[in-house]
Amino acid sequence: MKKLVILTSDALEIIRALNAAELVAGVNSGTEENPLFWPKLKDLPKVGRWNGPNYELIAGLNPDLVIGYAGRPGPEMEKKLSPFGITVLRLNFYKIKTLAKEVKILGSILKKEKEAKEFADWYQQKIELIQDRIRKIDKLPNVYIESYTDYHSTGPGSGADEMCAYAGGHNISSGFAIPYPEVTPEWVVAKNPDIIVKAASIGRCYQIPKPDKLKNIRTGIIKRPAWDNISAVRKGKVYVLANDIWTGPMAIVGISYMAKWFHPALFKDIDPVLIHKEYLKKFQKIKYSGVYVYP
Amino acid sequence: MLDIKNLGFRYRKADILKDIRFELDKGEIISIVGPNGVGKSTLLKCIARILKPGQGSVVIDGKDAAGMKSSDLVKCIGYVPQDFPSKFPLTVFEAILMGRRPYITWRPSDNDLKIVSDLIDLMELTDLAMQDFDCLSGGQKQKVLLARAFAQETDLLLLDEPTSNLDLKHQLEVMEIISDMSNKKNTGVIMSVHDLNLAARFSDKIVMLRKGKIFCAGKPEHVMTVQNIRSVYDVEVMINTDQIHPFIQPLRAVS
Amino acid sequence: MNTESSDIHKEYRNLTGKKTAFIILLFILLLFSAIIGISKGALSIGMFDSIKAIFKDSGTAHAIVWKLRLPRVIMAILVGGGLGFAGTVFQAVLKNPLASPYTLGIASGAGFGAVVAILFGSGIASEYLVPGFAFFFALTSSFFILGISGIKGPSSETMILAGIATMFLFSSLTSFFQYMGTMEQVHEVVFWFFGSLSRAGWKEIGLAGAMILLPFPFIMKMSWDFNLLSAGDEAAKALGVNVKRIKITSIILASLITSGVICFTGIIGFIGLVAPHICRMLIGSDHRFLLPASALTGAVVVLAADTLGRTLWAPQVIPIGIMTSFIGVPFFFYLLMKKTKEYW
Repeated sequence: MKKLVILTSDALEIIRALNAAELVAGVNSGTEENPLFWPKLKDLPKVGRWNGPNYELIAGLNPDLVIGYAGRPGPEMEKKLSPFGITVLRLNFYKIKTLAKEVKILGSILKKEKEAKEFADWYQQKIELIQDRIRKIDKLPNVYIESYTDYHSTGPGSGADEMCAYAGGHNISSGFAIPYPEVTPEWVVAKNPDIIVKAASIGRCYQIPKPDKLKNIRTGIIKRPAWDNISAVRKGKVYVLANDIWTGPMAIVGISYMAKWFHPALFKDIDPVLIHKEYLKKFQKIKYSGVYVYP
Repeated sequence: MLDIKNLGFRYRKADILKDIRFELDKGEIISIVGPNGVGKSTLLKCIARILKPGQGSVVIDGKDAAGMKSSDLVKCIGYVPQDFPSKFPLTVFEAILMGRRPYITWRPSDNDLKIVSDLIDLMELTDLAMQDFDCLSGGQKQKVLLARAFAQETDLLLLDEPTSNLDLKHQLEVMEIISDMSNKKNTGVIMSVHDLNLAARFSDKIVMLRKGKIFCAGKPEHVMTVQNIRSVYDVEVMINTDQIHPFIQPLRAVS
Repeated sequence: MNTESSDIHKEYRNLTGKKTAFIILLFILLLFSAIIGISKGALSIGMFDSIKAIFKDSGTAHAIVWKLRLPRVIMAILVGGGLGFAGTVFQAVLKNPLASPYTLGIASGAGFGAVVAILFGSGIASEYLVPGFAFFFALTSSFFILGISGIKGPSSETMILAGIATMFLFSSLTSFFQYMGTMEQVHEVVFWFFGSLSRAGWKEIGLAGAMILLPFPFIMKMSWDFNLLSAGDEAAKALGVNVKRIKITSIILASLITSGVICFTGIIGFIGLVAPHICRMLIGSDHRFLLPASALTGAVVVLAADTLGRTLWAPQVIPIGIMTSFIGVPFFFYLLMKKTKEYW
């Protein structure tokens, strides 16, 4: 019924989860960087990058619907494509709070309500499980979350801040005024967090077999001067999380890992790898592969 | 003292100077004259080795300038350029002190400072000694530049149009200072001059250039003739010999 | 007549004495700023406790002061000193009081290197990846300029033009690569451009210190030559200065200093422009004094800016690059208002 052009990998994941992959006529160039993850979809025509697609190519494919992020590209996309009768749908699939809703919206547009409900329910169930157990805890551990750039923490408004809350941790940077504040190493020592989580951007993890890069990042953090005074470093509770499971539909995997790190006893029975495998098998129709966290 | 042999200079396949030759004795003042663009500045720069002449040689006291180290050359030749850029604040004293550079390693000695002070007095700039060089008038700036060259204590001075931008009073003052210095210290002076009358009055010898070559050279009364000036400058003049020095009066341009 | 001339003589010695005193004053100011810098931090360790902690052998205060605060303060001093020093050199050689260590496109080159490292080096988790690339491309820019000057002649105008061209070249390449990056990578690049002293550890200080301080004595030796350059290339040559060699050597050394600063701390602007300017207005252009004074001034400014940036909006840090920009703006307005002469 409808022909689709998808500009973001996040949206493409959802499309595949909804069994709507056959509707896709064009994809963003980013799929080429992750060929193992997109075995069939990578061969579809490319229409450019997520933030600067080629409107001519899109129009040439004659789709009914184009799906992109809410922010970029700007409203010129609607202006350029509406003369061709192409509708633009802005869906992020980025934040956990709105993920289920966005999936259901897309499901109803593509007449895949059943698949959408299945996905949303699965997601909801996984989140609820964690939330239920967390509700019973009175004292949350203090967590220092660092984004990809050294000494840039994640404050309110950042995806990490949200994930930390979902996983049952107290983000020591939640009192800041901006999403990515720079902090001094001494400040972290002063705050003495129980756990440190570092977001790493190491490329498409699906293609990466070994954890070396993540391991090196972890070592770098542990070796920072005077950081041996921090409880998290002393107890070895420093974790590195790759960006693939940081945001987007796979954020549930990231949250599961974090929940387990923050409350190991409470989530002894949860295996994030299994959740990840389940997600990939059930919704993405591919095998599990790659390295996403260390340790 | 100075012997110029067959000096030539090319720039982008054009001969700016060709076959320049003349001699300078100690204490002698030579003026290089000629119309604009004839190569006066270039000649001075070649002698000072700011430019490298393509042909010929410059011999100072028997030594070829080409083979001399720049540290030795600087103690032989003092060069005063035509203009004085000023982008940074500099006092008059500091500007003249630059001339002592060949003799200073880090800290100027008392002797260096004394030489500069004496020159400031000579140039009658005493009240302006610690002022900004840039605040001075054109004439005063020229005097500072001259003082800088004097501070080098060289046997040879090369002055590129030392009086071009000066008013009458300063023109005469500067020329007299040069003349005195040459007499007192036996300094040889080569200067490029615009004003033929000044050249005639203050020089021992005049070298007249035409199209990059020497048209004629010799004592002022021999070189400054109506025919020579007509040939070189395309100007008809009248020369008044009743005065102490020959006075050249321009009449009209000749096509 | 004689008594008058000895007066001038004395006046000159007097003035140079004052310049030396100014430098000593700056040094004391620097020491004072350093003490304040060391005593400010997230963990409230008072001023005297901080100083005492330097000499103690153990304890948290000692660890904090030695491992975190002292390196940060020292890095700020190295950075500010290096930029002030290098800025003075560039202004002297390019004969332009508006020149800065970034005029030759060095900052753009370094930025480009950082972007390349961030985009394509993801996974090579060496802490020296980004600094290494930044350093390499920073030097590449200056060698590019020197190459052009070698062909077209080392006039200051040529160098400035070549520098602007290089700046645009690397800026556009940087933007292009940024366009190609993921959101996370673009984030990282932007933060790198802001500049940061948080990464300063003793190891970095060792490396940066070597790159920044080693050229100092060589450049100081050229002080008189810099003085003479302001008389014009030809006059300088006539006074015995090997103009070409001085320009090339000093640019290479000053570029080394600048690259050493940028590669570890990102782009910290205005210091290389402002420090020499202020000092020149106060003590004139004798480079024997101007060079050390600019270095000290730059160090004080960066130190003060960083301390303020850490305390004004605590616990957030206002990146040092942004702080120095804030300083630059009022300074330029002041210059505009005050400009009376042809030069600055």
